[in-house]
Amino acid sequence: MPRWPGLVGTVLSVLGLGVAGYLTYEHFTSSSTLACSDNGVVNCLKVTTSSYSEVAGVPVAVLGLVFFAVMLVLQLPPMWRRPEPVIRWGRLAWAVVGLGTVLYLLFAELFEIDAICLWCTAVHVLTLVLFGTTVFATSSYPAPVAVDA
Amino acid sequence: MSNNRPHSSGQTQKSNASAQKSNAAAKKSASSQRFAERQAAKQQAAREERRVRTRTYGIVTIALVVLVVAVLVIVKVAGGGGNSPVVDVPSPPAGTPIPATTLAKLQSVPVSTLVAAPTSGIITTPQSVNNPALTADGKPQLLYIGAEYCPHCAAERWPLYIALSKFGTFTPQPGRIHSANKDGDVPTVTFYGTTYTSPYFTFTPVEVYTNRPAGNGYAILQAPTRAQLTLWENTNGGAFPFVDFGGKQVLPSAQYSFADLQNLPFSAVAAQVGNNSTSIGADIDASAAQLITTICSSLSKHQPAAVCSAVHSG
Repeated sequence: MPRWPGLVGTVLSVLGLGVAGYLTYEHFTSSSTLACSDNGVVNCLKVTTSSYSEVAGVPVAVLGLVFFAVMLVLQLPPMWRRPEPVIRWGRLAWAVVGLGTVLYLLFAELFEIDAICLWCTAVHVLTLVLFGTTVFATSSYPAPVAVDA
Repeated sequence: MSNNRPHSSGQTQKSNASAQKSNAAAKKSASSQRFAERQAAKQQAAREERRVRTRTYGIVTIALVVLVVAVLVIVKVAGGGGNSPVVDVPSPPAGTPIPATTLAKLQSVPVSTLVAAPTSGIITTPQSVNNPALTADGKPQLLYIGAEYCPHCAAERWPLYIALSKFGTFTPQPGRIHSANKDGDVPTVTFYGTTYTSPYFTFTPVEVYTNRPAGNGYAILQAPTRAQLTLWENTNGGAFPFVDFGGKQVLPSAQYSFADLQNLPFSAVAAQVGNNSTSIGADIDASAAQLITTICSSLSKHQPAAVCSAVHSG
């Protein structure tokens, strides 16, 4: 197993954690949740205050934070060297969860809310790239062999 | 030696037999080894083939995802995907006339009723600032910056109109509009095209956009002055609605959520004003009471006494 999947995945997860953390901070501290920012297509406030910004009362920003926190653990280089199938397939499944969420939110932004939030787009791109690297590395390199002590 | 010959001959035969056996074993061993090597090579080839096949599946999966994302963006850019089935019907910028009885009702809600409203739905309250005094025509100025498409502004205009009615009069009276259909379709009044007269302060409403879609947003209605723009952007980043109470206090966003007002007719909301037993009535009344309190302390020097003493005693 080469080192790059772990390194790339860790860097992407840290970046995602940072952006999701910012969006979460903004969600809970900004008074602008009751305000409109501007009327253009690029309108973060319109997106982050829309009905799509929460799922069952949980802010999507928080869900993003949880996603990247778990993904960071799964993407750490030592985790890529672990032979257990549950880690290998769990990481892939988690990436698929992220992909599904991004596609849903992208659809909502483009066709329901009619506005795009650049911070959210950054999260979406990071999630998609993470999905790509995870799928590529998992499908290209065999699972490391367990070494008995 | 001669005695040894037969023996030696026998030994030679035995040795030959042993050598033959050894050769056969060696051949067998070599054959097994070649077989094992061939098997290993086959297994290796199978593993490699499986690896290539799995990698191909992975690459195809990634390509499919990229394709799906690209299709979504292309469909959007090409205009093939409507954002909603709602037809956006803009109201006239100055609004549709409101029945006089409805306006009279909104203007005459007792301050005691407003003060008694539960405040559980209030999310944002006016905040003190240390800005230079904001004045116009020699009086303290109440500056409102909003947009007709904006649902938060639509929610905020209800308590603002009720509060302002306690300190002065509008000429002509505001008409009714709604926020953009795809932005909640919240019924409300509009201050565009009205003049407000008060002995205590001036009221400057700026509705930056209409609720009429234009391009990627909405058509511009009123441009803020450079000074208003600077103040607005420096104070709350240029978000709607923005209310500045003479430079002493600001309201950086709507006081309550517009969620309950969405898609309601104007009359349905107006009917609940002054009724603190409904969430809509309570939110509007409590917000109006807060605005009156703020105006009394920041703009009107606690005048008129009947109004300001009522909020303070409440």
